[in-house]
Amino acid sequence: MIRGKALLRLKISAMLEHQSMRLLLVEDEVEIQGFLKRSLTEAGYQVDAAGDGKSAERLAVEGQYDALIVDLGLPDQDGITLILKLRELGVTVPVLILSARRSVDDRVRGLEQGGDDYLTKPFALAELLARLRNLLKRNSSSSAEATRIRVLDLELDLLRREASRGKEMLNLTPQEFVLLEYLCRNAGRVVTRSMILDQVWGMRIQPDTNVVDVHIYRLRGKVDLDGYRPLIRTLRGVGYVLRDR
Amino acid sequence: MFSETGKTKMRSAAWRVSMWGALAFAFGTMVLFVFLHGFVSNDIQRRSDAWLSGEVEVLADVAERTPKDALYGRVVKEVAELASKEVPDRQKSDDALNNSVFFLQLAPDGSQALWVGEGDGSLHLNAIRSTKMAPDIPSDIRVTGHEIPFRVVSDRLQNGSLIYLGLSERDELRVLRNLRLRFVLIWLLIVSFGAAIVFYTTRRMLGHVRRITEAASRIGESDLSSRVPTTRRRDEVAHLAFTLNRMLDRIENSVHQLHTITDSLAHDLRSPLTAVRAKLEMSLTMGVRGEDSESIVSAIEEIDRLTEFLNKSLDVAEAKADALRLERVEIDLNEVLKVMVDLYEPSLFEQGLQIRLLSGEPAVISADAALVHRMISNLFDNELKHLRPTSTVTVSLHSFDGSALLVVEDDGPGFAREVLPSIFKSRAKGPNSNGRGLGLAFVEAVVRAHNGMIEASRSEAGGARIAIVLPLAHAEQRAMDVVEMTFE
Repeated sequence: MIRGKALLRLKISAMLEHQSMRLLLVEDEVEIQGFLKRSLTEAGYQVDAAGDGKSAERLAVEGQYDALIVDLGLPDQDGITLILKLRELGVTVPVLILSARRSVDDRVRGLEQGGDDYLTKPFALAELLARLRNLLKRNSSSSAEATRIRVLDLELDLLRREASRGKEMLNLTPQEFVLLEYLCRNAGRVVTRSMILDQVWGMRIQPDTNVVDVHIYRLRGKVDLDGYRPLIRTLRGVGYVLRDR
Repeated sequence: MFSETGKTKMRSAAWRVSMWGALAFAFGTMVLFVFLHGFVSNDIQRRSDAWLSGEVEVLADVAERTPKDALYGRVVKEVAELASKEVPDRQKSDDALNNSVFFLQLAPDGSQALWVGEGDGSLHLNAIRSTKMAPDIPSDIRVTGHEIPFRVVSDRLQNGSLIYLGLSERDELRVLRNLRLRFVLIWLLIVSFGAAIVFYTTRRMLGHVRRITEAASRIGESDLSSRVPTTRRRDEVAHLAFTLNRMLDRIENSVHQLHTITDSLAHDLRSPLTAVRAKLEMSLTMGVRGEDSESIVSAIEEIDRLTEFLNKSLDVAEAKADALRLERVEIDLNEVLKVMVDLYEPSLFEQGLQIRLLSGEPAVISADAALVHRMISNLFDNELKHLRPTSTVTVSLHSFDGSALLVVEDDGPGFAREVLPSIFKSRAKGPNSNGRGLGLAFVEAVVRAHNGMIEASRSEAGGARIAIVLPLAHAEQRAMDVVEMTFE
């Protein structure tokens, strides 16, 4: 189990990944804005923050941002109206929408199809970072899909659906392979339970039982063999991380 | 295809209305005609009787005044022939002699004295003799060889001889037959024309009703913002549309208000939760250690549970008001169940539980995927939380009659008797339950929002059994078609 320091280390590693990424954070609630700004800065982004639609509009048009994080409930205007206005003004960067509303607006759905993403409050920071990463990756066309993934001494053959640790073949079920693949693709980054449910099982559910933990527990039993260094770590209250160093 | 349309038309209310309307109209006019027919035939009879009585008097007069010499026969004959040309409603004929009339004079001894008419008169004489006749009152005589009876009137001369004047009812019957024929033709024309008019006007009117029904059923499904079509006329149908639209305004208004309330409630609760969670996460990264970090972690977990609880209770509240917002897509329940069983199997196994999935064929429903996923995960969470080790959970899925039947049952202790009646109410929970009692209320809410049915009972093995029926995607389409066909 790793705690504060480990998380900090993770963030530093994230920082190295995207040094010069500039973000505009549009959030009116001071506490959340402060927390997000700090966390995103720690994660290595350059962050400008705006508390209302008007200043956000000015900043977005003037500055060159790689992505926007927009809260839907702004004091002077609706977040979606702002995004649509910015799109008209020629700001085409991806947007991560934050919403405390219950239902997902049809217009948000439209934006989502246009390559943007949304996250409902309250959210885990790890999830926000993961979605942001996805957005930025989507924006800069990614390289061709690899057929093998290597994380330290763990190796996944995506075509033959085989995994091995050092010289030992791992006997995984297809579902376990998908789960491990997801962890490997996010090696070194925190993934939350709801991210795992969404990405591995394709469901946005919030079970109040330990279903994901049991899967991870089983997977750990197969991957972290005796005599090998444990790779899958639990960050309680946050999620899991696959060690990559 | 043609017979299908035919059947559809036969089932339409317009068809029934026009059928009954035409039938009533036809019957009414028929009764009226029978009455008129009786009146006309009586009148014709009366007129011909008047003519007969007049003529027989004239003939009697002539017969009495004319001397009984050789010319007597010719004089009377000519008078009789002349009279025959004045028969009412006579059919035009070039014959000098009108064969519809006969004149017969009997000598006082009863022998035939004079005969004017067709044939030799013996048949007519026989017929007259075999019929009792009162003098001066016309009566019907049937003569062999003549299909149509004669109307005959008699008069007694002073010398005791009898004269008979007969008029065939042929012309009279012909007039009546013509009348009937024309009536039937015009009657058929009017009745079918009237039925057609009634059919098309009713169909037009019901067309409006059908469009209103279609629009209303679409509105009921999801979209509350559209309205039923209105017409510019001010009839009952327009009134119906107007009233429906006003009702929809009110419903939309209250649903909108409910959404506003739940949205702002969610917003007002989520924003501080986000801030609290953020602070907790922050302090976790700041390097809080030991027991402090344990409590922070459990606080974060508690917040996540609280968020899910908030979502669920707002969903239940909205569903209770039939205002749950759905984003329908076609999903295969069978696939969802497979994934769900795969997800839950390890946890169930860890608790010493077994799960069996009895399903084969796909069951595609049109539903909100996220809600259905959460519904099934709630059912499975329930089993996980309440079952004792060594129990078995059986999940089965069948399709029948355009519906999917999903049954989740176990051989555990079952529902407590006192909770069973109120099992789907929020906050209903068994004595040993430590949940918040929202799980099954949420499940019921989702089922309701998808026009389904849910039932909780005791399984055959004595455990808990929850049966859910949801309409299949294409069955719903078929139900809509039936509605459309009925109104076509």
